[in-house]
Amino acid sequence: MEYRAKLIIPEGVRDLLPEEARAFRKIERRIMDFFVKWGYEEVITPTFEFLETFQQGALRDQESLYKFIDRRGKILALRPEMTTPIARLVATSLRNRPLPLRLCYSARVFRYELPQKGRWQEFQQLGVELLGDGGKAADVEVLALAIEVLLLAGVRDFRLGLGQVAVTKGVLAALELPEEGVEEIKGALLTKNLVKLNSLIEHYGLKGQKRKQLEALATLRGEKEVLAWAREGGLPEGAASALARLEEVWRELVACGLGNWVFFDLGILRDFDYYTGIVFEGYAEGLGAPLCGGGRYDGLLERFGYPLPAVGFALGLERLLMVLGERGEERKGFLVAGPSFPEISARAREVRASGVPAVLFLGEDRALAEEQARKRGLSLLWVE
Amino acid sequence: MKKMLTLAIPKGKLGEETLSLLKRAGLPWEGVATEDRQLIFTFPREGFTYLICRPVDVPTYVEHGAADLGIAGKDVLAEARADVFELLDLGFGFCRMVVAVPRQRWEEARGKVENLLVAGLRVATKYPRVAAEFFHRQGKPVEIIKLYGNIELAPQAGLADVIVDIVSTGRTLKENNLVEVVSIFSSTARLIANRVSYRMAYNLLEPVIEALKKAAEERRDNLVARS
Repeated sequence: MEYRAKLIIPEGVRDLLPEEARAFRKIERRIMDFFVKWGYEEVITPTFEFLETFQQGALRDQESLYKFIDRRGKILALRPEMTTPIARLVATSLRNRPLPLRLCYSARVFRYELPQKGRWQEFQQLGVELLGDGGKAADVEVLALAIEVLLLAGVRDFRLGLGQVAVTKGVLAALELPEEGVEEIKGALLTKNLVKLNSLIEHYGLKGQKRKQLEALATLRGEKEVLAWAREGGLPEGAASALARLEEVWRELVACGLGNWVFFDLGILRDFDYYTGIVFEGYAEGLGAPLCGGGRYDGLLERFGYPLPAVGFALGLERLLMVLGERGEERKGFLVAGPSFPEISARAREVRASGVPAVLFLGEDRALAEEQARKRGLSLLWVE
Repeated sequence: MKKMLTLAIPKGKLGEETLSLLKRAGLPWEGVATEDRQLIFTFPREGFTYLICRPVDVPTYVEHGAADLGIAGKDVLAEARADVFELLDLGFGFCRMVVAVPRQRWEEARGKVENLLVAGLRVATKYPRVAAEFFHRQGKPVEIIKLYGNIELAPQAGLADVIVDIVSTGRTLKENNLVEVVSIFSSTARLIANRVSYRMAYNLLEPVIEALKKAAEERRDNLVARS
C-alpha cells in the first residue's frame, strides 16, 4: 500500500476553507472588539513554553499536554489553555501596572486527546482575565461579559450554570475523613458518579447532616432550592459564606437584568483544585459539551510569586461556530478587468479605498472576465 | 413542538431488561425491539426517541450528546471512560470482571495469585484499558492483546497466558477449563446522562430519572420478595 501521509493531516486537527475561515475570523473579530470595548487589552503569548509553567495551572494532567524537548534537553509544551501563561506574564512583565488589570486573548490551544474521542486537538480559545480584584463586582463583571458575548455572537438558546467550588470544599473539609476518603468522594462528585458517591457514603458510614449535605451537593440545582438549603443552616462555616457570596453575585446579575441567563448548579466544579470561588459553564441547545467556562482562581498568581485574586473565562470558537452553524457571508466585490494593467490597477485601488474588495483580472479577454466574475460571485468592472 | 428526549438502549440481553424496566417505569415501550432492523423508535406524543445501539457504543452516543440518556453496563463504562454522568445503578445485568487462567497454570502457581501474576504475562481481553489499569496497579508490566470475542479461546490456542473478561455464571470458564483467580469489580447496568443535557434539559430529564429509579427499586424489591 502506498503511504499517503503527505496528503493527509493527523486526527484532531483540521483545515479551514475560505468560507469557513471567513466565518471564523468574522466572529473572532467581533468578540475581540467587544472585549476591547469593555476595557480588556489583548496580549499574545508564545505558542509553547516550559512544561513547568503549565504545571502551575489547570490541566496539570501530563497526558493532555503536547510535550517536546529542546536542544538543551528542556521539556517544552504547547499551551493547553491561556490563563496560566497570562498569570506568568502578569507576575513578571506586568507587575507594576495599576490594578485591576483587564486582559484578553484569542489563541490556538493544544490538547492531546485519544483520536477516537472525536475531539479537536487544536482549537481556538477566546477569553478574558480580570486580575487584582477579589470582590463580588469582579465576578459579576466577568459573568455579565460572558452572557453579553454569547448574545452578541447570536447564540439564541443558552444558559450559564453557576456553581461555587468553595461550598463543596467547605463540606468536604468538615467530613472529618482520612485524606484518601475525601479524595474518593471528591472524584465521585467531580465526575458526577452518583452510584459511586452513594457507595462511598455507605462505605464511610456517613450519616445525618454529612450525608444530606453530600447528596445535596451532588444533585441540588435551581436558585430557590439552593438558597433554601443555605437557609436551613447547619452548613460548615466556609460553605455557608461561599453560598452567601454566590447569592450576592446572583442578585446583582438579576438586578442587571441578566438573571434569565443563569441557573444555580452546585455540581459544577470544573477544575476543582485550581478554582477557588465562583465557577460557571455555558451550555447551548444542541451542543453536547460546554460552550464556555470560567471562574475565580485566587491561588494561581501566587504560584508565580505575585499573590493576586483573579477571575476569567474562555470560550471555544469552534464550538461557537458549530452552534451558530454559520458559513460566513457571501463574498462581495468587483473583478476589475481591462486591456491596460496600470489602469485597472489604479481603478482597483480606488474601489478598495471605498472599502469594497477589488480583485484583479489577470488577462484581457472580456468574455473570460465575465465568466470568471459570475463564477466567483463578483461584479465585473470593465476599464477601457 | 415538544422537545424530544433521546435514550440510547443497548442491543442484546441488557436491551431486553431495559425494555421491561421502561415498561415498569411507565415509559413508552410498545413496538420497541432491540433485535430488529429498525434502530430508531420515536414516540412524538410522549416526547421520546429511542436509539438502539451496540452496548459498547452507548457511552459514545451519550458523551457527544447524540443521546441525552443511555443505559450501559459498568464494564463498558469502565473501559470507555467517557465523560458522562453516572446517575443510577439499575441493578440488572449483573456480571463480574475477572482475571482467569487455564487450570494447569493455576496448579503450577500452587493456587497463589502472587505466583501467577508475574511481569511479562500475555493478557487477552476485550477490555484493554481495564486490564492495563489492573496490572498497572499490581506493578506488573504485561502485554495486552485486544480481542473482539471468544476470549476463552486465547489461552488454549497459546495466544495468551491469562484473560481478563466478564463472567456471569462462570459456565463458559468451566467449559474451557479456566479458573477465575481475581475479581476486579462487579458490574451492573447504569443510567448515564450527557453532561450538558443533564443541566440544560434537567426539567425534562428529572421525571424520567425518577421513574426509572422507582422502577429499578421495585424490580429489586420483587426479586428479594421472590427469593
